[in-house]
Amino acid sequence: MFKRWRDRFQQRYQQWVNRRLPAASKIRLNSKRLFIFPTRTGFYFGGVLAVLWLIATNYENNLVFGATFLLSAVFVVAIFHTFLNLSSLSVEAGRTYPCFSGGRAEFGILLSQPGHRHRDSIKLHYQFSDPVTTSLPGTELAEVSLAVVAKQRGWLTPGRVTVETVYPLGLLRTWTYLDLKMRALVYPRPIDAPGRPASVAAGSGTQQMVRGREDFCGLQKYQVGESLNHIAWKHYAREQGLQSKQYSEPIDEQIWLDWDAFSGMDTEARLSRLCGGVLRFSASTAAYGLRLPGIELAPSRGDAHRDNILKELALFELPASGRP
Amino acid sequence: MRKTMQPNWQTPRGGLLWMLVGVAVAVGLHIAHLPIWIVAAAVLAIILQVQVYRGAWGHPPKYLKVLLMVFCIGGVLSSYGRLVGLEPMVALLISGFLLKLLEIHHRRDALILVFLAYFVVVIQLLFEQSVAAALLVILGLIIVTAALVGLYQSAEQSQWGRPLRQSSVLILQSLPLMLVLFMIMPRIGALWSVPRQQHSAVTGVSDSMSPGDFTSLSGSSKVAFRVEFDGEVPAQSALYWRGLVFSSFDGRRWKQQGSGGYSDGNILQWYGAELEPWDSLVQRRGEPLAYAITMETSNSPWLFALATPVPDSAGIALTRDFRLYSKLPVTSEKRYRVKSWLDYQLEPQVLPAWQRQMALALPDGFNPETRKVAEAWRDETPSPAVLIDRLLDLYNREFVYTLKPPLLGKHTVDEFLWGTKRGFCEFFASSFVVFMRAAGVPARVVVGYQGGERHPGEDYLLVHQYDAHAWAEVWLDGRGWVRVDPTAAVAPQRVESGFADLFAQTEGFLEDSPLSLERYQHISWLNNIRLRLDALDYAWAKWVLGYENVQTGLLTRILGSIEPLRIGLFLLVAGGIAMLPMVVMLYWGREKIYRDDLDQFFLQFCRRMEHVGIKRHSGEGPRDYAMRIALLKPELGDEVGKLSSLYELQRYQGRTLSASALRSKLRRFRPAFKSRN
Repeated sequence: MFKRWRDRFQQRYQQWVNRRLPAASKIRLNSKRLFIFPTRTGFYFGGVLAVLWLIATNYENNLVFGATFLLSAVFVVAIFHTFLNLSSLSVEAGRTYPCFSGGRAEFGILLSQPGHRHRDSIKLHYQFSDPVTTSLPGTELAEVSLAVVAKQRGWLTPGRVTVETVYPLGLLRTWTYLDLKMRALVYPRPIDAPGRPASVAAGSGTQQMVRGREDFCGLQKYQVGESLNHIAWKHYAREQGLQSKQYSEPIDEQIWLDWDAFSGMDTEARLSRLCGGVLRFSASTAAYGLRLPGIELAPSRGDAHRDNILKELALFELPASGRP
Repeated sequence: MRKTMQPNWQTPRGGLLWMLVGVAVAVGLHIAHLPIWIVAAAVLAIILQVQVYRGAWGHPPKYLKVLLMVFCIGGVLSSYGRLVGLEPMVALLISGFLLKLLEIHHRRDALILVFLAYFVVVIQLLFEQSVAAALLVILGLIIVTAALVGLYQSAEQSQWGRPLRQSSVLILQSLPLMLVLFMIMPRIGALWSVPRQQHSAVTGVSDSMSPGDFTSLSGSSKVAFRVEFDGEVPAQSALYWRGLVFSSFDGRRWKQQGSGGYSDGNILQWYGAELEPWDSLVQRRGEPLAYAITMETSNSPWLFALATPVPDSAGIALTRDFRLYSKLPVTSEKRYRVKSWLDYQLEPQVLPAWQRQMALALPDGFNPETRKVAEAWRDETPSPAVLIDRLLDLYNREFVYTLKPPLLGKHTVDEFLWGTKRGFCEFFASSFVVFMRAAGVPARVVVGYQGGERHPGEDYLLVHQYDAHAWAEVWLDGRGWVRVDPTAAVAPQRVESGFADLFAQTEGFLEDSPLSLERYQHISWLNNIRLRLDALDYAWAKWVLGYENVQTGLLTRILGSIEPLRIGLFLLVAGGIAMLPMVVMLYWGREKIYRDDLDQFFLQFCRRMEHVGIKRHSGEGPRDYAMRIALLKPELGDEVGKLSSLYELQRYQGRTLSASALRSKLRRFRPAFKSRN
């Protein structure tokens, strides 16, 4: 009975928070989005004030009254200072860093402000992350990264991030819960199973070419980011614009990471072993492809290819809501 | 889980520094009344904490801390002889506070230390209430608050100065609200009795008088009390501030009659209480004189008033010998109101036998010469009044009033009257009363103050310690107790124009206070400064230290009437107004984006171009922007190109033009105007 009430309260509370603080990837904090309340220390401070007031009253000492009122006024003034330590700060979703199940996914969060206010000791944390404290000492930007333990593969949504501060006096806490619409991809936990070879196709038959380092195969317009070593400087000297030399190499070995190679295991165990295979082959020069029921990625190399495969593994057979 | 992340909390450096400074300041404020070993312990504790922080020494072991605690309690006991009382309790609090400094393992410990420091700093105000003490306490609160800020400052921002700056701003911004609270918050009066300061010497007149006592008072220029009359100030010669009545004489020392001496009712008649039977013994005639007296700290319960007084403030009693007595010793400035009937008769009908005996008692074996002469004079004169005149005449002819009287031996009155003939007010009063008693006229010594200095600017009277005075009262049949001042017979100016006027230029005046401004009353500008300072002191005593006495009147004047609703509204409105400057400062003060002149110049240029419809893209440099403008509006191209290259030259090749030159160049550039043409 009690639990049901609590659950219902939790649900109502979540609905209220969702209405009041709708999700967005960049949120500027203002009085509508910030909450403020005395901390435990603040209540103790109130106790100190009460005792000072008693001393002043019993000794009928107006200067002690004055000191008591001065400290009470400090408490009131601290409300503004604490509130303004967060107010008009913009909180923005930054980069997220994927991880393997069991590891920690990192969520980058950017704090920015329009002016040069000194903001100190701003603490950020998710429900299941260690807190990170940062400050903006008159600067416009600060970036923090929060690590959340990933328990299972798929999209990890860390929930609402708590941004809070008790600066300057620790007597009051101002805070907000923000949904920055962030999520990180969690790959299956990799299990290296070298004993079970993935299916290997010899590359002697149909010669497939992939981008490589060995054989020159033509020129293409230079794209920003390509290695300077590949620029055809002679063509450039002839004022033919920046061209970059393209190379290719033959694939001598095609490795298929195959779902069927691990028959007799459950889904997660198979995905873990496929993931282990990806890590093993991406470290080698071999090209590798992936075959899952209904999905096939042709063998290739490179970081982008690896990430595509890992993403397929991470999201395999997950409900559509978990998909992009 | 989060708790285990910080098993060994490290005090932030800024926090530690200000904590240590705070401890030093808090203990330093109390240095005047602390035993020296606590001060030494404070220094040690600070050194220890610094060494622990540096890692040079380990945390002190537990047994050492227990040992230190025992040592502190023992130290307080041996220094004060008791644990109850204001001074020993404060000493205990401070030693506990120092011990806490030795065991800071968590932020919680540091917070306890900071809160204790707030206490220690504020409690100093129980010992001293001067303007300077209040300012020092504010300084102390700023430093303790800096320690609190330091505890919450993030570690990477550990600049030393920042917490102090932050806490100064906090305290300064809090002052207006404090004033509002101070004005409005009701004072409800003591809830229970508390231990008061004890180890403090009585200043001003004391409860006994022997030859030479008053010379030390004549050396002090301290203010004894200030008086504010509702109406006209009476003549100087009428200002006899009665304080104590001495009836008991042991040959050298005059003392008060013990309370056992009186047998008709309670000897104290409290303000507001039922009248004692002896109250009818006084006849008060005419309109009373109403006035308020603000006593400086005297650490004694004697209050001063003109004869014959009736208290008009709570906590004050009229005594059986018709003077005022305070329930609590005056340990801080005290303001009270009195009504005095200057036209009075005190016990004119009959003097009961027990009282007559008390007022005639003389110790045996002292002053035989005086007793002999007095008895002879009694037989030669027809009435006590004639006898009094004869003695005063003798004083007037043969005696000298001096601040440097010769020392007296065993028979003080004999030696004075028939030998040295040089003396101070107490010599005259004492000898007069002894003579009268020997002649069978009931008499007693009264001490208090005589006269006072009128403050020219403000409307009050200043009574200094050097105005301390002793005179006599004799009981005459049908007239009751009559004041007789033998000093006035010797030196009438003393009574008519005041002590300072009489002695200002003579040797011995304010001998003990060579730097006192009172010494230089004849230098008019110095005297002016002295009076200004005193006016400030008095305003402080009246409006701050004794605020509860004026609060009701002040609030009634502001609010019309004192009701909870009006007080609440006033608190909201005045509090809001008090907070306004702070809020404005916080919201708009630092939100402004600071750019240098050159940036302002460029941004203004961009705004003007925006009016023409060419908005700068974010990330577009000045040169690209100028080229785009030139493409879109060829007619502006030349000028824009010049401006943009000017900007670049200024930015990248050093500033050669001043801000005003830049502005004037820009003023001439009016693209919107031009394009409309």
